[in-house]
Amino acid sequence: MNLFRSEEHIERWLGGRPPGATIGVTTLNELARAWWSDRLAPNWRPHTREQNQAILDRIGLTGPFWRLP
Amino acid sequence: MDERDLALRASTYGLFVELGRAPTTDEVAEAAGSSVAEVQSGWQRLHDQHAIVLDPTTAEIRMANPFSAVPTAYRVHADGRWWYANCAWDAFGICTVLQGDGRIQASCPDCGEALSIVVSDGRPDDESLLFHCLVPAAHWWDDIVFT
Repeated sequence: MNLFRSEEHIERWLGGRPPGATIGVTTLNELARAWWSDRLAPNWRPHTREQNQAILDRIGLTGPFWRLP
Repeated sequence: MDERDLALRASTYGLFVELGRAPTTDEVAEAAGSSVAEVQSGWQRLHDQHAIVLDPTTAEIRMANPFSAVPTAYRVHADGRWWYANCAWDAFGICTVLQGDGRIQASCPDCGEALSIVVSDGRPDDESLLFHCLVPAAHWWDDIVFT
């Protein structure tokens, strides 16, 4: 789960491996804020799979790649 | 996850933020008023539930996501300290959990060029960067260190 300067850098880094998913850093920031916001909260409880999937869906990260087990 | 393990997790995370590094079993046992053996067994249960990640060789903390207990390529300055994040996602997560802005320093895995992002008012200052996730979500926890 890395940051890159551009698509060209990703392709070169992959070196022929099948790519995963690429999103912009703005979307990543939104994802991080939704995913981690309660992590230090005193009343923290583990997220269910459904809660986490809903976060991904809400941010537009849909499709088989983003489907949690 | 029962109340005992939730309390152990809260104590562990609290110490991580207070100390600026991963606490040891001794430190958590002292803070929680329990034994080292109780902390070790509790940490194992938390590890099994993906609430923390233990180092398989030392049984000490490897990850208390989004924080990393070991140096990584993702450094974050937030809340007056430098932290290590497990990945780019977690780097933004550290800014989030510390409820403030931050500076993320990393390097492009391809060319090694330094990347520096300031998160201010909850937004990154360079919106041109890209995040690549190699492993599909269904397999993130198959090998979380690789993911």
